[in-house]
Amino acid sequence: MMAGWVRTLITTLLCLTLSGALAASIWAIAGNPTPVDLPRLLSENMDRSGVAHPVTAVLLNFRSYDTLLEIGVLVIAGIAGISMAKTASLEDPELRTSDTLLYALQRWFVPLMLVLAGYLLWAGAERPGGAFQAGAVVAATGVLMRLGGIPMDFLRPGLLLRLGLGLGFSVFLVVAVASAIGGEAFLAYPPGLTKALIVVIESVLTLSIAMVLLALFVSAPVNDAEDPEEGGPA
Amino acid sequence: MTLWLMAGLLFTPLAWAVLTLLTDFRWGRWVTSFGILVQVLVSLGLWLTIARDGGFYYGLGGWDAPLGIELRVDGLAVTFVLLTAVVASACGWHAGVYIDPDKAWHRYFWPLFWFLWSGLNAVWLGGDLFNLYVGLELISLSAVGLVALGGKAAALRASLRYLLAALLGSLAYLLGVALLYGQFGSLSIAGVATLLADNPAPAGSGLALALMVTGLSLKTALFPLHQWLPPAHGIAKSPVSALLSALVVKASFYIAARLWLEFGATIGSFAAAQLVGLLGSAAVVWGSWLAFRQQQLKQVVAYSSVAQIGYLFLLFPLTYSVSEAVSLQAQQGITLQVISHGLAKAAMFLAAGNLILSVGSGRIEALAGVSRFLPFSLFSFGLAGVSLMSLPPTGGFTAKWLLLQASLGSGQWWWVAVLLAGGLLSAAYVFRIYRASFLERPETDRFYHPPRSLEVIPLILALLSLGLGLASEQVLSVMALPFEEAGAP
Repeated sequence: MMAGWVRTLITTLLCLTLSGALAASIWAIAGNPTPVDLPRLLSENMDRSGVAHPVTAVLLNFRSYDTLLEIGVLVIAGIAGISMAKTASLEDPELRTSDTLLYALQRWFVPLMLVLAGYLLWAGAERPGGAFQAGAVVAATGVLMRLGGIPMDFLRPGLLLRLGLGLGFSVFLVVAVASAIGGEAFLAYPPGLTKALIVVIESVLTLSIAMVLLALFVSAPVNDAEDPEEGGPA
Repeated sequence: MTLWLMAGLLFTPLAWAVLTLLTDFRWGRWVTSFGILVQVLVSLGLWLTIARDGGFYYGLGGWDAPLGIELRVDGLAVTFVLLTAVVASACGWHAGVYIDPDKAWHRYFWPLFWFLWSGLNAVWLGGDLFNLYVGLELISLSAVGLVALGGKAAALRASLRYLLAALLGSLAYLLGVALLYGQFGSLSIAGVATLLADNPAPAGSGLALALMVTGLSLKTALFPLHQWLPPAHGIAKSPVSALLSALVVKASFYIAARLWLEFGATIGSFAAAQLVGLLGSAAVVWGSWLAFRQQQLKQVVAYSSVAQIGYLFLLFPLTYSVSEAVSLQAQQGITLQVISHGLAKAAMFLAAGNLILSVGSGRIEALAGVSRFLPFSLFSFGLAGVSLMSLPPTGGFTAKWLLLQASLGSGQWWWVAVLLAGGLLSAAYVFRIYRASFLERPETDRFYHPPRSLEVIPLILALLSLGLGLASEQVLSVMALPFEEAGAP
């Protein structure tokens, strides 16, 4: 009883100290200009980036290596998720609703959400938006359809699902290595093709990001069949 | 040529991750063996190129830092790339035979394996604070996926615990990165180091470094933040445990070490360096003691990792405000420790996996009599143990010898006691396993004989860690190579 109280007190004190130190250092940062002016450097190079929005330019051109690896992280999350899925859960009728209101709403929402996703993807070129946002909206559409009981066979852990997971990443990777084969650095876009390539990459990424998120939602239940464990209690 | 090698190094693991995602386990094995061949050749080629021409910066996408991301390709980085190639190919080869191909979910082993490899290469070469974070995420998530693969509740519990610890560590690191970016406006490590050298350190950069090192220590399982490691490393399949102990924990340590060597002299402090060293020493003693007390074979090996990781953190006190020569000695000692522990621990986990496969149980008592049936695996286990005990002529011995000299040279004699005690304690837990394996009991005469290739792989790794002591001059010479600051050629 006493120990729990002391522990809470210590935790609170630690949290307060850390927050205080963080606040102080953020206060100090806010008052001083940084020695390297990255935003200015960015705006100077914008015309060479192929897109008009700085965030998209950073994500898909200047720091595209980060984005490539981040997509890899998403694919890993998808793989880890579906490796634990059991196929039966996809067919489980208890996981579906038969709500007529939801059916009715779906007819309106699904096309609307897909159009919105398409807009978000396209808007990424000159204002906030892009593959991640569009992918999230497509995934949400999929979640809605699944809750409504639409089967969506491609989500069964088969070749189609795995193709979908890997598609966006593969296209990005092929573009990355194509320039390296052409004698440029890894991930450098050939001049003139920058805009077209970015649009292609963003579109397939939207699809794959949506697949990953949807696969994670669908494959949530844990599998029943197991391996014997090596190190655990017998 | 260099450009091609770099592209191959970055491209191969990622491409093979996607390719093996589309195959089942058996096909994945064939596809992977071709990928391993390519990756080993590319790593070796890059190492030879660096050994001949010296290191360079490689700007990705044709953009230089600070706007783009630069990779720092130097002797130390390519040495670790090569180490990764050796250990990962051994583990991949072992896994291809060891893992049951008939279970459907094992097909996901290969893509996770390749993503892990690409993350490791990204970290060794990373020269950008945020890119290193992405590399860490790549490593952590694929490692967690590998631990959880097809496991029961206990494996899921261990991997979830691992995931939470790894995420907390990553977030602390990211917070530090955000603060440094706020102070300097640049994410390039070299850029920040130059700014620090020319100007007085801005207020709060000490906090940023502390946050980053704390987060990375959690991911490296430094005492007292080590509790997530033994369950995760113990419960994973042996090739996975080998990858985790030999390489994954080293990646976060490598970043912490790079940060300390670049920024530590200006924004570190003597007290902080001593504190980290003290925690490392506590890890050596406490981890070895716990290894000695375990009942499960793989738990012994996992706690031994906690102890061996402790040595690495002696880098912090042994490079802070000491002479150039002592600092170099400490860095060389730690590098050798990373390499020799990587090889020895991979050998140990793979051999332990064979022993468990043979006797059908993970308990140490069950090993009774196994010495007559699996002498090769037991021999590899012992050879790896000799390197952990740091007896000559192993790599472990040379590493401890350099650290000993660095401690005496910097007047910090108290670390000598840790180095000696650690060797004795590791002898205790290795001999305990040996004792169990030589006992004879009447009821134990049925053993499963694993395929010969499973026995050969740990033996090769153990011999490499043994031979490292003899080749340490050559290994360390690459680290001292010239480095062009001017950028990629």
